Amino acid sequence: MHFVAPALLLGLAAAALPYLIHRVGKRRALSVRFAAMQLLLRSERRVHARKRLREILLLVARTTAAASLPFIFARPFSEQSTDLPVISLDAQAAVIILDDSASMQRRSGVGTYFGRAKARALALARQFPSDSELAFLLASAGAPPRIGELEPERARVIEAIEGTTCSARPADFTTAMHQAALILAGSSRAHRRVYLFTDLQATGWEDGAGLPAAAPEVIIDDVTSGAPLPNRAIVDARVEPSAEAGPGGIAVTVEIADYGKQAASALGVTMRVDGAAVAQGTVELPAAGHARKRFLHAFSGESGGSHDIVVQIDADAFPLDDRRALHVEMARTLRVLAVNGDPRTIRNEDETFFFETALKSGIPGALVTSKLADDVSPEGLGAYTVVALLNVAEPAPPLAAALERFVAAGGGLFISVGDRVDAATWNQRMARLLPQPLGLLRTAAALPGQHAGETIDERPAERLLPLDRRAPLLAAFPEEGDGLLSARFFKYMLLDPVRDTAQRNVILRFESGAPALVEREVGKGRVVLLTTTVDREWTDLPIRPGFLPLLRETARHLVGATDEETAAAALVGESRVLAFAGDVHTLEVRRPDGSVWVGKREPGGSARSVVFAGTDQIGLYRVWGAGADGTFAAQPAQDFAVNLDPRESDPARLAPEKRPDRVAAARPGAKPPTHRVELWHALSAILILVVLLESLLSLRWRRTDSGEAK
Amino acid sequence: MSTPGHDVPTSPPDRHLGLLAPVDLAKLSSLALRARTIVEGALAGAHRNLHPGTSLEFTEHKEYAPGDDIRRIDWKAVARTDRYAIKRFEDETEMRVLLVLDTSASMGYRRASVSKLEYATYLAAALAYLVGQQRDAAGLLAFDAETRARLPPSTRPGQVREVLTALEGLRPAGVANPGPALDAVAEICDKRSLIVLFSDLLDAEAGPPGDAAAGTLADRLRQLRGRGHDVALFHILDPDEVDLPFQDLMFFEGMEPGDGRTLVAEARDLASAFREESAMFRQRWQTLGIEARVEYRFARTDTPPAEILHPFLAERAGRP
Repeated sequence: MHFVAPALLLGLAAAALPYLIHRVGKRRALSVRFAAMQLLLRSERRVHARKRLREILLLVARTTAAASLPFIFARPFSEQSTDLPVISLDAQAAVIILDDSASMQRRSGVGTYFGRAKARALALARQFPSDSELAFLLASAGAPPRIGELEPERARVIEAIEGTTCSARPADFTTAMHQAALILAGSSRAHRRVYLFTDLQATGWEDGAGLPAAAPEVIIDDVTSGAPLPNRAIVDARVEPSAEAGPGGIAVTVEIADYGKQAASALGVTMRVDGAAVAQGTVELPAAGHARKRFLHAFSGESGGSHDIVVQIDADAFPLDDRRALHVEMARTLRVLAVNGDPRTIRNEDETFFFETALKSGIPGALVTSKLADDVSPEGLGAYTVVALLNVAEPAPPLAAALERFVAAGGGLFISVGDRVDAATWNQRMARLLPQPLGLLRTAAALPGQHAGETIDERPAERLLPLDRRAPLLAAFPEEGDGLLSARFFKYMLLDPVRDTAQRNVILRFESGAPALVEREVGKGRVVLLTTTVDREWTDLPIRPGFLPLLRETARHLVGATDEETAAAALVGESRVLAFAGDVHTLEVRRPDGSVWVGKREPGGSARSVVFAGTDQIGLYRVWGAGADGTFAAQPAQDFAVNLDPRESDPARLAPEKRPDRVAAARPGAKPPTHRVELWHALSAILILVVLLESLLSLRWRRTDSGEAK
Repeated sequence: MSTPGHDVPTSPPDRHLGLLAPVDLAKLSSLALRARTIVEGALAGAHRNLHPGTSLEFTEHKEYAPGDDIRRIDWKAVARTDRYAIKRFEDETEMRVLLVLDTSASMGYRRASVSKLEYATYLAAALAYLVGQQRDAAGLLAFDAETRARLPPSTRPGQVREVLTALEGLRPAGVANPGPALDAVAEICDKRSLIVLFSDLLDAEAGPPGDAAAGTLADRLRQLRGRGHDVALFHILDPDEVDLPFQDLMFFEGMEPGDGRTLVAEARDLASAFREESAMFRQRWQTLGIEARVEYRFARTDTPPAEILHPFLAERAGRP
């Protein structure tokens, strides 16, 4: 034990005070020669043990209290050897970054690497001299700063570290280091350091160290101590329709990766559907290689339904990536009636050619029937799920009435325009179905910019404005809108303005701001209006890559369900667009741990969707919606699964030359570093306890004695 | 032939001079005066006799003295001699009283009242005075570790005065050892006698009841009783030895020579236990007295001696 101010230990002489007072008190005793010494001694023997114990206890308590004060003032401390960074013994401004990314949940012995990192971070926080200033950050992507300013109150930092749990998010050291540098930039202290406790996984450093030129000193504590981290993981799982599995058949393809040096023979792979194991198999997984496993499964019934699919491999030390979940909504069999308003003899010039081709290619199993407008029987619409009116001049009144009933009952109506469309008649007969009244034709006046690899078309054209992916219909498109934004529109039909309502929604707009794709809810069904053609007459959209997915998503949207090709799954941290279907005004997302997130549509607002960003847990998320009557009902079509970011499965460490820290090697034979453990806090606590004890005992015994004397 | 009668106290003695407190008695000039005062207080107008006769065999006349039963006055003899005379019977001529006093140093303890030895001398002197008045034989034996005074019972003239003189000369000293003294009783009293022992029973040799030494003292008293002696034990304690009224931190040390026992203690811490110990101490001696057929009398030195003597005499007067 050492002391900061050993001279104050002279005050320990005060410890003798209680004893001296006791002795002086004895000398003050009145002397008397007494005859009945026998009785006196016998009485004293009766109370001796109790009295003696009291005297000793009180003397010890008072002596301890008297000795504690100079002892505390002398600031005792002990030096303990430590494997923590020795430079933490200086007074400094420091930012502790704890890696709480998913990979830290890898098991190590009885605990996890996160547990080890947390313990070491705590030990470090306690080890800092009391006049240091600390901040505390987490290294997972999107994690808010726990203590984002330098904090002189160390206990607060320790409390924050103790309350931290490991997340399932991927690591983002770049952001964390950048934040740390910003925090330390505001400090005038000579020593400014960043302490990072991590498994040093390389994928978290993909964007660099995030440190400015005048960076603080960085100390990285590799909690794995360089131990090899073998790992086997499911890095991808896809669902595809499969004819070979029969009606309602799907194929689930699982991609498995090995990140170690040892091949796995007969690695078990299991697929569960709705909780029941439906298929099992094995794969031969080469060392540091990949393997695929394909499972076939057939769902019974034609009416669709939602299903949870979980695939998993034999568990290893990192269980989070040993399983992957998917949620699929099996679509009703898509039966489309394409009403051809501009038939041609040349196949690829026919109005329905691109439409029919895209649907058949994009939605396996889709039944597309093409008819001329005059051949459509209004009574026969019930056999279809979607009716497409493609450049139809004017719908006959019986057909228009039949279509109103059809849509109100839940059917989907797709309308595209063209040269043959008589807008006035349409507006008259289809007013209750059209999202907006049809207006004038507009021909593009300017030449669009050239895109690489395109055939230059000399006609003036417009493009689409950037996509708003919050629209459910566009959620599946990449943010850049590849294949859709490159489309050129030479001519389109303007729409007359109407009052904005919650039932109407503009999904796509041209550069001029005019609506390109508009939807309207009518009863239980939907109507989608494309203000240009579905052949190449007014646009080159049909030959753009985005045409097929646009039609596929539109068809799915019209029937109110996703199809099996795009199983609903996201990675941890990715946001999810949820639609307010029909009169639904409140959505609940029930997370895997049972917690509930609530999203509301503002009263009278036109928002059709809401973004859910709380995908920080791995597992299946259930979506419930409340309509006008306030009753919540499951919306399985919007359920989704969240899986681990596959980057977290790769345990490869950051290369030494890329590390932002510079660790000096210990000299051979050098004395192990020590750190100071302050003892005066504990001694103060003991002193307070002793004083309290002495007071309580004195009070209690005084009461007891006065009771006996009576 | 007549049966000698005896008097019984009809009521407690009235408070008068004889009921003086011990400290007030000490102010009287001589022990003889104190003795007479005590006796007067104890008798309080009633005639009592320490040992009333029971025999029918007349032996002699005796001049009337206070304490004699007036019913036994021989009126014929009064007519003949013009002096009050009492008939004496054979047993009455054998009345012998031996007063045995513990004079060890512990008997010298005093604080607010007289010392235990002084108190014992008051009682002994009163009894000697009464015995002398009744023309009976009174004797004295005082002891600590050794015999300090020895006057065998006698009816000779001047015997009572000698006893009182010897009593006045007693000083507390030495260590108590009643064994040899009680052995000497057997030598002194070859006839049936009343043996009255005054002691605080705190003597080192006697020890507390239950000890071997205490057993020895009790055995010796029992032996005396077995030899036909009538034995009475006056257990004299100072009020301090009953209540331990001290309040402060006290340094207690033994009184008798060679007694190195000391104790430093908060007296109030011990008071409760001490009172219980003192009560048990007295209770044990009382029990021993009953078992050994020894009359036990407890006396605090702040009690008027007449109050102690009165029931003693009254009870004896009531015996057949």
